[in-house]
Amino acid sequence: MYFSDLGVIALYLALGFALFTIVAAVLGVIYQRPMLVESTRRSVLTVTFFMLLAVAALLASFLTHDFGVAYVAEQSSRAMPWYFTAAAFYGGQDGSLLYWAFMLAVFSAIFVFSSRRAPKAMVPYILATLMGIETFFVLVLVSVSNPFARSVVSPADGVGLNPLLMDPGMLLHPPLLLMGFMSFSVPFAFAVAALITGQLNADWLRAIRRWSLASWTIQSAGLLLGAWWAYHVLGWGGYWSWDPVENAALLPWLTMTAFLHSTMVQERRGMLKVWNLFLVIASFALSIFGTFEVRSGVISSVHSFAYSNIGAYYFAFLVIVILFSSGLFAFRFPRLQAEQEFDSVLSREGVFLLNNLLLVGMTFATLWGTVFPLITAFFIKQTETVGPPFYDQVMAPLTVVLIVAMGVGPLLAWRRTSVASLWRNLCVPALMAAACALILPLFGVTNVIANIGFSVCAFTAMAMLYELWRGMRVRHSHGEFYVVALYQLFNRYRRRYGGYIVHLGLVLLVVGIIGSSYFQQQRDSVALNAGQDMTIAGYRLTFLGNINVQDVDKQTEIAQLQIWYDGQLVKYIYPGRVVYNNYPSQPTSLISINTFNAADLYVFLSDWNGSSQATISVFYNPLVPFVWDGGILMIIGGICCWWPERHRTAASQRKRVVAPGSSVSGEKSEKQKVHGGVTV
Amino acid sequence: MMGARARGSIGSYWRPLCIVLATVLIMVAVWFWLAFVMPRHETLDQRVRDVASQLRCPVCQGESVEDSSASIAQQMRSVIREQLQQGRSEQEVIQYFASRYGEQNIVWAPPWHGFSILAWLVPMTLLLGGAFLLLFVVRDWLRRSYFPSSQSESREPAEIPERSNEQHDDGAWEIYRAQVEKELAAEDVLFQPNVMEGS
Repeated sequence: MYFSDLGVIALYLALGFALFTIVAAVLGVIYQRPMLVESTRRSVLTVTFFMLLAVAALLASFLTHDFGVAYVAEQSSRAMPWYFTAAAFYGGQDGSLLYWAFMLAVFSAIFVFSSRRAPKAMVPYILATLMGIETFFVLVLVSVSNPFARSVVSPADGVGLNPLLMDPGMLLHPPLLLMGFMSFSVPFAFAVAALITGQLNADWLRAIRRWSLASWTIQSAGLLLGAWWAYHVLGWGGYWSWDPVENAALLPWLTMTAFLHSTMVQERRGMLKVWNLFLVIASFALSIFGTFEVRSGVISSVHSFAYSNIGAYYFAFLVIVILFSSGLFAFRFPRLQAEQEFDSVLSREGVFLLNNLLLVGMTFATLWGTVFPLITAFFIKQTETVGPPFYDQVMAPLTVVLIVAMGVGPLLAWRRTSVASLWRNLCVPALMAAACALILPLFGVTNVIANIGFSVCAFTAMAMLYELWRGMRVRHSHGEFYVVALYQLFNRYRRRYGGYIVHLGLVLLVVGIIGSSYFQQQRDSVALNAGQDMTIAGYRLTFLGNINVQDVDKQTEIAQLQIWYDGQLVKYIYPGRVVYNNYPSQPTSLISINTFNAADLYVFLSDWNGSSQATISVFYNPLVPFVWDGGILMIIGGICCWWPERHRTAASQRKRVVAPGSSVSGEKSEKQKVHGGVTV
Repeated sequence: MMGARARGSIGSYWRPLCIVLATVLIMVAVWFWLAFVMPRHETLDQRVRDVASQLRCPVCQGESVEDSSASIAQQMRSVIREQLQQGRSEQEVIQYFASRYGEQNIVWAPPWHGFSILAWLVPMTLLLGGAFLLLFVVRDWLRRSYFPSSQSESREPAEIPERSNEQHDDGAWEIYRAQVEKELAAEDVLFQPNVMEGS
């Protein structure tokens, strides 16, 4: 008996228990058998256990180098270090599917443990939906894409991981991104349950708030790591190329961002019910579409590590998901007509509507650009490519408007804002933007688009910081020191101020994108001999020679260069190339990235000849470090919003009981309205 | 006294409006100047990069001629440089490559003619359509909530006294403070002013 046999058995058992959960949950609710409904919780945990067992079995097969398992032989070799051998787990399609199904089971288990907080009637349907998705994945795993399938003869050594994947990024980016894709299932399950039970008030939204924040944050982290990986591995000096697979990961992120904003409108005002359901379902459908696209290879992409014939299965699943949710929509539509109460366009909810329009517009444009090659291939029999210039031209104006809206939004109150107070609050940020527009040309930023972009970013950043400052002053006037006041703002109003951090991070990220796309410089050297040099942006690079390192499984060619600036030796750098013996045609790069004052000097060894000749490509990328800083800030903000606030709710509920009459805010009456007026 | 207050309220309304309008004017002027008046100092390098970024590297996966380090991309960059030095326009150079490699293989953005114009038109139309739809829906909502809003108004706590403030900036500041406190209080009962004073 091999570990792989154990894995197969575990998969079949998980499949059985997943099917049982669906049947038991639905029957238990219909025939009102509490015992049956209760049993579904246990069976979900059982599914999780068996998935854990399957994962452990595959991991054990990898670590014991059981090359009789075809997948292990394809993805790993004896020469690989143990951490890459373990990471090869999700290096190919079969393993990444198993990982996906496993994470879904883990999230389902977490839901089971936290299900006391979810509306009670919805729980069985949520579990049934989650296990429905799980069933699909396990079914694919045991039928067409079995990672435990054994080959007839077991080879002495495996092929090894694709060299592009042999990188520290491999340890983090794929698991996070796959987890992000998977995590959209939980809000989707809630949406399905809300539609089936007809409990379409704000309760289910409150219950998924933290789930959707978690998916958003995980997906953001996955996207950011992907960009960083591309930047330091691929050698073209950029971090985002609008590749179909990158787009696929961006699409659900965009709709989830839209949802996180529009959900606040429903929580506060009871509006946009249908829209919120649509966004949640669309996020899930887009995440399945993304996987379909990655795995089927219908659209060519740099991520072509794992093509296969399971595209058809995904497509069928996608169709089922869309039909099922549209059917539920049609079934519940009469109940979804809430009376809308909208006081003024000049309000927080007004800006959120604009935000949603823009984000959904971006989603559609990206989706359209991604599938356009297919459309042309179908209608005019020739594949028209859609590349970065298209996306840049479509997304840039939308992003500019989005950032302006981001700056104006926090200045507006819910319900309505007087025009006078809006002008007053706009003064400081607008002055900042004008100052930015005036000063930048003096420093040589003469590109008009870059100037518009930077000014808009200055406006929004100032609006955020000013808002933060005023919040601090309010608390300060209650007798708190400024530092304490700042801490208390974040401690107490996490959602609000965490959101500001995310916005500031996005502004920083956009500044980085503008900087690197309008002010990048590039030089290719001719073949340099030892002692020759090249210059870029004031830096002089002197080539000294090549070092060749032979390993068991690879050989590494490293060029040695000096960076000089202003007549001073700054540092030695060692860009290089690695050629793995199993993949001689795919040399990977060791790129030397040197950050000087918010700009990267990106040095890439493009060719070499013996020990004394090399061809070097150098990119000077201004402001790229801001992309990473901004991204990290966004993730911190996301975690800040997500972080549980058990203390506060308990304390404030106690207070609410003690002093029910003390409420002077309009918010309370509004909340009651949401509870009372919109409940169906 | 009344006169001063009236002047104050007018001042507190118009001054910020003028400042915002002035800043917008300044920005538009700067951008106009940068876009149309300022002579272009584009170096040959920048022009080569502009053209190269529009072209797709024929042998790579998803890389432009600008970014790719493949030898054919390097050759193409030097061809672009030569042609620009000979005085051809950027469009002519792109046309040159399009006629050699076929437009759909090498030009990266879909062209503005033929079937591929749909790549541009469909998202734009849908976005505009969405904007109009939103506009109509919002107008509908506003009209519908016009009548019941009079009831909800009375249930609302007294609106913050928006106009009756002093001339100082402190007045505006007080109003804003009241608004922030109201919003914060909505999220946290502990922070309501009377609760704090009572405890």
